[in-house]
Amino acid sequence: MDSVHADGRAATATDVAPGARRDLLPLKILVAGGFGVGKTTLVAALSEVPPLSTEQQMTSLSDGVDDTSVVPEKTTTTVAMDFGRVTIDDSLVLYLFGTPGQSRFWFMWDELARGAVGAVVLVDLRRIDDCFAAIDYFENRGLPFVVALNEFPGTDGVDDELVRDALAVPPGCPLVHVDARDDDSCTRALIVLVEHALARSV
Amino acid sequence: MTVDRRQRPQADGGRVVPNYAFTAGRTRSLAGADMPIEALVTATELGLAKAPGMAPEMRAIVEASTEPQSLAEIGALLGVPVGVARVLVSDLAAEDHLAVHLPLVGTDGRPRRELLERLLDGLRAR
Ligand SMILES: Nc1nc2c(ncn2[C@@H]2O[C@H](COP(=O)(O)OP(=O)(O)OP(=O)(O)O)[C@@H](O)[C@H]2O)c(=O)[nH]1
Ligand SMILES: [Mg+2]
Repeated sequence: MDSVHADGRAATATDVAPGARRDLLPLKILVAGGFGVGKTTLVAALSEVPPLSTEQQMTSLSDGVDDTSVVPEKTTTTVAMDFGRVTIDDSLVLYLFGTPGQSRFWFMWDELARGAVGAVVLVDLRRIDDCFAAIDYFENRGLPFVVALNEFPGTDGVDDELVRDALAVPPGCPLVHVDARDDDSCTRALIVLVEHALARSV
Repeated sequence: MTVDRRQRPQADGGRVVPNYAFTAGRTRSLAGADMPIEALVTATELGLAKAPGMAPEMRAIVEASTEPQSLAEIGALLGVPVGVARVLVSDLAAEDHLAVHLPLVGTDGRPRRELLERLLDGLRAR
């Protein structure tokens, strides 16, 4: 089934008269990855405004990993997220959310991931363990994602097939190389993500 | 409340706007979970006219929203968590001081193909 207007007509691209301003629509892409992997750098490279930070308060069961207590307790955590904004056309605005990669924050991802175009999982090849949880998460949720190797010094010249094996990147999931400081490089990663999302959309 | 009319309750869509958001009865506001962090708001003429008499944080939201702002940006502007921004924005929308523009998703909960194509065109043109 397709989306419909409030009056029951199917929504199509031709509904808007030429020259008329189309309705505003937000889109979002998540930027995930471990600590210090370059999430804020990538958001800053793409955003038309300096990245902003927002806080989200969460209630969760603490999982005992960071706690000395073994008994789960209800805790309220404030999670900070960076985000940036990219105006796509006269009506589409894309938001990029840099999501905290620490696994204890993942309870918040369901809300963030809902309705997202997809995700960029940033990877620092010197510390690959940090990205497994993100890859698992997006794969399980069926959210389109690309794995983006952030090219820190000393991480070049690595064979893509070895990396795919090491990271257990699912078949069909794109693997790209980025310099998170470079606008063009980050834009290319987003293009690959959206192409991938389109290929998977019905 | 002014809500972008293309959003509508859908059988199993990820983004569901409750029916009351479309009714003339303006006693209810959009429930929190129905206004995602990327939802855009714009000031209405009524809102701009009333802004000078509003509480400072309400006035700040309405005046910033002469340009479209996301809930996340409202939170950053006021230095409050997204949940607090959502409550303030809901109240302003209930009074028709703000229009809310929600994402448009298909029944699979993902942005519709047409939007992905426009996004791709926009990114390629950068
Ligand atoms: N050489 C190089 N350095 C980078 C690149 N991307 C990020 N850095 C640097 O790596 C450091 C961490 O980058 P951030 O963008 O803060 O990483 P983050 O993922 O936001 O970090 P947290 O939010 O703390 O988890 C910064 O000093 C960046 O300048 C890159 O592509 N190449
Ligand atoms: Mg950061």
